[in-house]
Amino acid sequence: MNPKRCAACRYLRRRCPKDCVFSPYFPPNNPEKFACVHRIYGAGNVSKMLQQLPVQTRAEAVESLCFEATCRIEDPVYGCVGMISLLQTQIQKTKNLLARTQAEITVAQIKHSQNQHSEFM
Amino acid sequence: MMSYLRNPNSPIFSILLSSSTTPNIKSILFSQQNQKLVKRRDVMSGGGNTVTAMGGGGCGGGSGGGGPCGACKFLRRKCVPGCIFAPYFDSEQGSAYFAAVHKVFGASNVSKLLLHIPVHRRSDAVVTICYEAQARIRDPIYGCVAHIFALQQQVVNLQAEVSYIQAHLASLELPQPQTRPPPPPPQHHQSQPLFFSTPPPLSITDLPPSVSPLPSTYDLASAFNQAASPSSWATQQRRFGDPRHQYGGSLSTSSATVGLGGGNSDLEALAHELLHRQGSPPPAATDDSPSRSMSR
Repeated sequence: MNPKRCAACRYLRRRCPKDCVFSPYFPPNNPEKFACVHRIYGAGNVSKMLQQLPVQTRAEAVESLCFEATCRIEDPVYGCVGMISLLQTQIQKTKNLLARTQAEITVAQIKHSQNQHSEFM
Repeated sequence: MMSYLRNPNSPIFSILLSSSTTPNIKSILFSQQNQKLVKRRDVMSGGGNTVTAMGGGGCGGGSGGGGPCGACKFLRRKCVPGCIFAPYFDSEQGSAYFAAVHKVFGASNVSKLLLHIPVHRRSDAVVTICYEAQARIRDPIYGCVAHIFALQQQVVNLQAEVSYIQAHLASLELPQPQTRPPPPPPQHHQSQPLFFSTPPPLSITDLPPSVSPLPSTYDLASAFNQAASPSSWATQQRRFGDPRHQYGGSLSTSSATVGLGGGNSDLEALAHELLHRQGSPPPAATDDSPSRSMSR
């Protein structure tokens, strides 16, 4: 057993070559990360996706894949779309609150100007 | 069987409609034209052909009376009775949708996913899987996570604005001599790219509702570490409620999301009416313009 195998090669029970595409992004101390990604996408698909990307963008791609895979495991039906829905709902509620508060400010300004007017009278 | 994607009662329909970063999904949903099937070579060579060539209603269409389903047609295999993909990928246009799904997830992985889902929930699952596959082909680095972060940024901006407005309101309501409103918060221009030149000042752990100071760097790795634990995701979902319960009245939500919604205009009309009753001109919309510019 090679103790320096990355998490992917350890999971796949194979030798970890020096140019392993997974090794920079799946360190051996975090096996769950690759397990998630492999469960949803499959090692072959992930490997193809990473090989088609420039090296400097692969880290971000791996993190986004892990995020999506985690969402899908947590919610097999909706995955990331569930989170999108939550955020859209929250945006709408916040916009409504903003509009309501702006209306209250307008009302408060009217009352303030009324008070000033009555003081002059 | 009516295409599930074109069913306006489907909650997924409204979510995907309001997704401003996936115009191709919208065109797919609204397209009534019959598109040519995308050949397998064209699909596998690049995602652009897949996205532009797909017609409407392919994903989710019912299986035809004869012939293989779209998935089996794409895979060039015999479509057996009880094929798990048949109800969701019709023989005419389903191949194009399935091509994207197969490229990103793989047929066997999708099959395993669907087998673990109750039958009545599988159509929603297929739609979301198609959406994620399309998003990943369009943006191979971030996929649909880019949309999530854009929405999170929007939430944070809106909450900052609400805090500022509420502070202004509090200063007006207190019995003090004329007080100046606090300076406006720094505005985040919507044209600022989030992911291309500079990393966005937001991490995936900074979820609403708290308006926390924005971190200076964007760190998906730390986001994944927090997201990896099932308890943290479950806690976040409980905080916002079950997303499946949010789908009631989703059509009104989506229409309100696209514009500012009816509630906003009603309140403004009331404010203007009150002002007109007093005979004074309406105040300058200094507070409205930032929100309107930032709301999109």
